[in-house]
Amino acid sequence: MNRWLRATLIAGAITAAGCFVWTSWPPNSQYAPVEISLAVVGLSFMVAGIAAWQRWPASRLGLLFTIVGYLYLVPYILVNLANPVAWTIGNVSQGVYGAALAHLGLAWPTGRLRSRLECGVVVADYVQNIAFNTAATMFWNPAFSGCNASCPANVLLISGGSRSAWNSLNTVEALVGFVITGIVLTLIVRHWRSARGWSRRAMIPLLWIGTAVGAEVILTGSLFHFSALVTYALIPLVLLAGPALFVISTVRARTAGGALGTAIVDLEPGASPGRLRDALARALGDSTLQLAFRRPDGSGYLDTSGQAVDVARPAPGRAVTPIADADGAVLVHDAGLEHEPQLVRLTAAAASMALEHSRLQAEVHAQLEQVRASRARIVEAGDAERRRLERDLHDGAQQRLVTLSLALGMARDRAAGADPELGSLIESASKEAREALTELRELARGIHPAVLTETGLSGAIQALAERSLVATTITAVPDGRFPAAIEATAYFVVSEALANVAKHAGAHGAQVIIQRRPGRLVVEVSDDGAGGARPEGGSGLRGLADRVASVGGVLRVDSPPGGGTRLEADIPCP
Amino acid sequence: MQPSPAILIVDDHDGFRTFARGMLEAAGFTVAEAATGAEATEAARAVRPGLVLLDIGLPDFDGFEVARRLAAVPAGDLAPVVVLTSTREARDYGGRIAASPAAGFLPKDQLSGAALRRFLDP
Repeated sequence: MNRWLRATLIAGAITAAGCFVWTSWPPNSQYAPVEISLAVVGLSFMVAGIAAWQRWPASRLGLLFTIVGYLYLVPYILVNLANPVAWTIGNVSQGVYGAALAHLGLAWPTGRLRSRLECGVVVADYVQNIAFNTAATMFWNPAFSGCNASCPANVLLISGGSRSAWNSLNTVEALVGFVITGIVLTLIVRHWRSARGWSRRAMIPLLWIGTAVGAEVILTGSLFHFSALVTYALIPLVLLAGPALFVISTVRARTAGGALGTAIVDLEPGASPGRLRDALARALGDSTLQLAFRRPDGSGYLDTSGQAVDVARPAPGRAVTPIADADGAVLVHDAGLEHEPQLVRLTAAAASMALEHSRLQAEVHAQLEQVRASRARIVEAGDAERRRLERDLHDGAQQRLVTLSLALGMARDRAAGADPELGSLIESASKEAREALTELRELARGIHPAVLTETGLSGAIQALAERSLVATTITAVPDGRFPAAIEATAYFVVSEALANVAKHAGAHGAQVIIQRRPGRLVVEVSDDGAGGARPEGGSGLRGLADRVASVGGVLRVDSPPGGGTRLEADIPCP
Repeated sequence: MQPSPAILIVDDHDGFRTFARGMLEAAGFTVAEAATGAEATEAARAVRPGLVLLDIGLPDFDGFEVARRLAAVPAGDLAPVVVLTSTREARDYGGRIAASPAAGFLPKDQLSGAALRRFLDP
């Protein structure tokens, strides 16, 4: 809607309200509430008209709202102008707004009627309203209401009027209006029943308007008689709810962008496409929203619940909006949302952002998984290399030293009788060879414990406890074999922990507990020493934590000063 | 003095077998050799040694498996005394040595005729 049209409409609304106040001034205390409610309701439709024009520029709804507002207010102004022609026109046009309301209701939300039947019903409503009003006015003498000279003349009055004819015509008009309104309401209910998602929500203000129309027919028609206060105060209030709800829903639609933002922000990291759909549907107010993705083989689309979606030929009442930057993803939504192009664009942008976020997150997870796997492979390769080195030492240098040692022993025995000095020399050489062998064994054991390869965790931990410089109790250790990387990690945890106990803790004793739990192996080493160990310190605990992490485990250190140290490695174990 | 029983040295290292044979023959033993677990079981049937000096690390079966096979002699036959050996120490094998049918373990660098006699005549 351009600026000039909006300014004209606003000026028209203000002028109409001003005229209304001017013509009904001074307020009659008895009818003041009724007059105020008339002004408020008339203006509310005008405001809703401006809102509708702004919100759905392509729809005629704004025009219809505005027409209802003017038809509601202007007849009362004309009647109060104390001018015979104006008074007569005001009387003829009073109540025609009801036909405009029926028109508005049936044309919701496009502003266009859907069928010939609806066109016929609306035209009949306009015609019967004007025709009966004109006919009844012809028989209404203003003197019937008790005002003689002060009332403007009725220019349509024929032969002094007839109260009984006026009454009869009003009764017939009420009956005809009753039937037409019934048809209108039935058609609106049919629209409501066939609407889904956003369209159904968008009809809520209309239901109020429909309720008001129905109530008015019942209350003001001559078929039933209620007090003037009920008739002229209750109906406007119910009627007011329609445009008010429409304006509120317009404001909500304008803030839906913010709701979308909140929905995306509130979406937990890595949320499934199904949860994204739910969040978008809530923010958009369209429970029928579908988020569909092209099948990997390109043979069609599937929504988040796995149902096939025909994107090329959407079902009646459905519309498809592609999601930019998300190849092969679309939103399938209520066709009524085409009246809210900005909102749909925002929703598609929010979906695009969320999907991109999920894609990046999945990429980061995949990369992290790759890094984890490669770290595990590096550690496993390191272990394998250490095993190979230990075996090479065992098969090579150690073997040769043993043979050398035996040879020297034999040489010593042979030389002992003949040349004691030579025998002593050979004995020294033999001793050196044995010491070299002992040192080489320790070195090989440090590189990789043969006992771990030979006997598994149970035997290896037992050997560690026996060699430990601090009295060590093994409370529990599971029998059986585990994957080599798990055994090596558990072994090095205990080995490093016991070495730390001996070096730093000043403990009297240490305890080792290794327990198999569902899906993991928990290694615990505790001592009664000085405590105060810091994982981030240079005590080798950081390297141990890295080692545990390489198999996906976690190392926890609890070491309060003076309270001993408890080290726990929680290692995933199939 | 009782005649020394035959000793079967089972080891895949030629150098060790050579020096061990020299040492044990000098100590008065009759010595036979085998380089693999399979050869060891055959040689044990042929030679019927009184003692088998059995390396744990063999190329086909490990020493524990060979010891188990050597112990499984037909009823009435006398199984040889099996002494496991290695360049490693006994503790590197945890409880496996005690769990095997072998009479004991002797580190290779401590091999001597006297040490073997202690197994034969405990």
